[in-house]
Amino acid sequence: MYYPFETQVTPLTIVRRRRMLPAPGTVEVRIGDQVEPPQVIARAKLPGDFRIVPVARLLDVPASRVKRYIRVKPGDDVREGQVIAKRGRLFASTVTSPFDGMVTASGGGRILIEAHPTPFDLRAHMYGTVSNVLQQHGQYYGVVIETAGAVVQGAWGAGEESFGVLKCLAETPSDLLEAEAIDPASHGTILVGGRGLSDAALERAQQLQVRGIVVGGLSPELVPQAEQLPFPIIVTEGIGAVPMSGPIFRLLTKNDGREASVNGHMQTRWGIMRPEVIIPMPADTVPPAERQPGAPLGIGARVRLVRKPHAGKVGTVVALPVHARQIETGIRVHGAEVDVGQEAPIFAPLANVEVLC
Amino acid sequence: MAEEQPIGSILLVDCGTVMTRATLLEQVAGQYRLVARGEAPTTVEYPWSDIAAGIRHAVEHISVSTGRRFFEPSGDLITPQLRRQQGVDAFAATVSASQPLQVVLAGLVRDLSVASAERAAAGTYSTIKAILASDGRDGGQSEGENVHTICDAAPDVICIAGGVEGGAAEPVLSLVETATLASSLIEQSARPRLLFAGNSRLRQRVVQMVSKRAELSVADNVRPTRTEETLLSAQAELDELYVQEKLERLPGFETVSKWSAVAPKPTARAFGQLVQYLWRLGDGSKGILGIDVGAASTTVAAVFDGRLFTTIRGDLGVTFGGEGMIQEHGAETVTRWLPEPVSADEAHGVLINKEIHPTSIPQDVHELWLDQALAREAIRTTLELARPGWEPGAAQPYPHLLPLCDTIVVGGSVLAHAPRPGQAALTVLDALEPIGVSTLVLDAHGLAPALGIVAEVKPLAAVEVLDSGAFVNLATVVAPVGRARRGETILKVHVTYDEGKFSAEIGYGDLEVLPLPPGQQAVLELRPLHNFDVGLGGPGKAGKLRVNGGLAGLIIDARGRPLHIPGNTEQRQSQMQQWLWDVGG
Repeated sequence: MYYPFETQVTPLTIVRRRRMLPAPGTVEVRIGDQVEPPQVIARAKLPGDFRIVPVARLLDVPASRVKRYIRVKPGDDVREGQVIAKRGRLFASTVTSPFDGMVTASGGGRILIEAHPTPFDLRAHMYGTVSNVLQQHGQYYGVVIETAGAVVQGAWGAGEESFGVLKCLAETPSDLLEAEAIDPASHGTILVGGRGLSDAALERAQQLQVRGIVVGGLSPELVPQAEQLPFPIIVTEGIGAVPMSGPIFRLLTKNDGREASVNGHMQTRWGIMRPEVIIPMPADTVPPAERQPGAPLGIGARVRLVRKPHAGKVGTVVALPVHARQIETGIRVHGAEVDVGQEAPIFAPLANVEVLC
Repeated sequence: MAEEQPIGSILLVDCGTVMTRATLLEQVAGQYRLVARGEAPTTVEYPWSDIAAGIRHAVEHISVSTGRRFFEPSGDLITPQLRRQQGVDAFAATVSASQPLQVVLAGLVRDLSVASAERAAAGTYSTIKAILASDGRDGGQSEGENVHTICDAAPDVICIAGGVEGGAAEPVLSLVETATLASSLIEQSARPRLLFAGNSRLRQRVVQMVSKRAELSVADNVRPTRTEETLLSAQAELDELYVQEKLERLPGFETVSKWSAVAPKPTARAFGQLVQYLWRLGDGSKGILGIDVGAASTTVAAVFDGRLFTTIRGDLGVTFGGEGMIQEHGAETVTRWLPEPVSADEAHGVLINKEIHPTSIPQDVHELWLDQALAREAIRTTLELARPGWEPGAAQPYPHLLPLCDTIVVGGSVLAHAPRPGQAALTVLDALEPIGVSTLVLDAHGLAPALGIVAEVKPLAAVEVLDSGAFVNLATVVAPVGRARRGETILKVHVTYDEGKFSAEIGYGDLEVLPLPPGQQAVLELRPLHNFDVGLGGPGKAGKLRVNGGLAGLIIDARGRPLHIPGNTEQRQSQMQQWLWDVGG
């Protein structure tokens, strides 16, 4: 039995996503409410900046003698420019607050001022129904939104969340997205390319303020740029010039013109997060999943190969040989025979096979 | 595992960041033997979110090959063994699947107290998130900037070192105040703990200062004098914190803990125990070294005069950390070990893809070489961190080189699964640059950490398993130290086998492999040039010794110490290719 890595590429399923506040706050929706992407569903107040004001040094007095000159105490609200310490009358030395806030501590010749908390609005970023409100010890920290729709998990991503209309600019999964293909009508859309995109295309997409990009591969030299984009980018196969795998390309092109949520956030361990595209669908019933998450690899499974020389190829497992075989590097490993539409099945190490489910 | 009870079967498990390995030991004809093993991806993440699931998956492979049933339908381990083919008498696990402890170090002098604190933190799985040094080496930040640095780093612990015993108080107390203030500004649920490991005479004042504003632990001063270092106490505190804050919070840890009387241990700690145990089995005059190159971390465990020094780079393994390393130090740190040209971008791409697909293995030989190159750098970097903390005594004839090591145990998938033994041996030789005569021992089945636990509670079982071939000899290595012109003969070698003899003259710069397969012994006579030292008592000293064969044979590494790597790219690649051919890689 081998329990492979899984990637979700589903035309229709029930999608449940947790939308979490960075700190406890208030929830603005109730279970059963219908929500839209830009809607604020929860709010929190995040700790503001803080500053340690070295009052004793600024007034040029020893820390032990500064207390008499301080005009504020912990708990006091202060305004930017307000005198918080003063020494002398004529030609007095003064120390002022660097910003609006509150004095939270004082001692050792210093005053700690914390800025007022910053309001944070959590938006839904997807269409759906609130299926749960998350709270612990009486504190609210998020909601769960549920919708029927298609899901595509990416391999690599950057940026945060966005929402827009899918605009497919590739005719085949192997097309490279060039700047010329990105016209003014791309403004506010989520672009779908093939095996990758050029440096110029990346710049053009920024100029036209697209809301996201989904491509098969990404050249390694574009990674630093992609990480600084003002919108999310989702790479479905991996870094390099890898054509978008067939099932993903077909699913995205089939939904060309539909609204989609994209999330470029990724974490590869200790709380794995995969970049993803969610395309909400009107559906009364959703068929049960063909494969349970975490099931062992079996014959008939639809899989993708993840390492060279077969990276990005998609096929069906036709055999799981009992005995290990030698691969290109010379090592002997257990593997799967995968029919990728070539003359003969490919033998791939089990470690290099992931299930598309 | 209780010593008093008869133990006929032992199930050993190591839950790594990427893979979980299980091994069944059983008494066969009165002796413990390795019966079967299995491995499966670790299951910390969705859809399992339970490390016990990965253990069950790995054990399934053992079930298939032995017919033994290990688990109840409920998923609990059957222990002790009910009857033949059902359950096991004992279970032991080592775990390294959790996130490392996030640490901020604060100290007075970057090269003294802060360096010692860094080595203390490296005694457990940790990541250094920020370093604050009062000597201004790291930019000379104001107190406010330091507080911001700590808050941004969001550490689990702030380790404060500094002040020799009886030294100046104010700078140390100022650091404590900064750390306390920063801690108090962090949201309560994420508030870091403080560990004070500085001037012990200030402890009372530190306790008073911190009071209830932060949780405080104290340890012995890591740098009591300018020349002394005492890490054990701080290491123990940090290791305990790692276990409490990280390991025990892994999903499924509690389930796995219930399967054994011995609580699961951090992998590196158990690995260190095994290396120390092996030292006791050896002659003791030289040191012994253990290297474990994992997917997300690299461990170096060294024992000299019975003292164990464990150093872990919790942020650098062959799957995770490589991309960060080349971002920080440049791709050439890794690509310089490759026999063929690979651009920085190409290497960057491969390393990112490895992190995306952590369980995957190289199928392309260039990607395999990149893995092995990364392993070299991971070992070298960890060694660099470790060596200043060692006290090798007489085992260190040359301060700038590795001490004399009798045995070097090496493990980790990148070495154990190298397609050719020569590749694994060359990776280790390039990374460690051993001197004198050493035996490279390969932990081919990833058993070392779990055997560390066995050695602690049932030493006989550990010895028997080791004797039964759990470890395999990778090579015996002779590495002369000295300088000569390239090609000049520096060593005459006579090998007397059971049947026959072989002689060779070794030139300076050569990397020679003489045939000596595993299981065979030979008498090795070494006659070095007058200014070359092969570890037999000093330069020019000749001698005879009985050596064991290995998968990669008997290697004479006369490339010189320290190893010279050509600066010219083409020459370097050609040299790397040559060395790879020389060892049969």
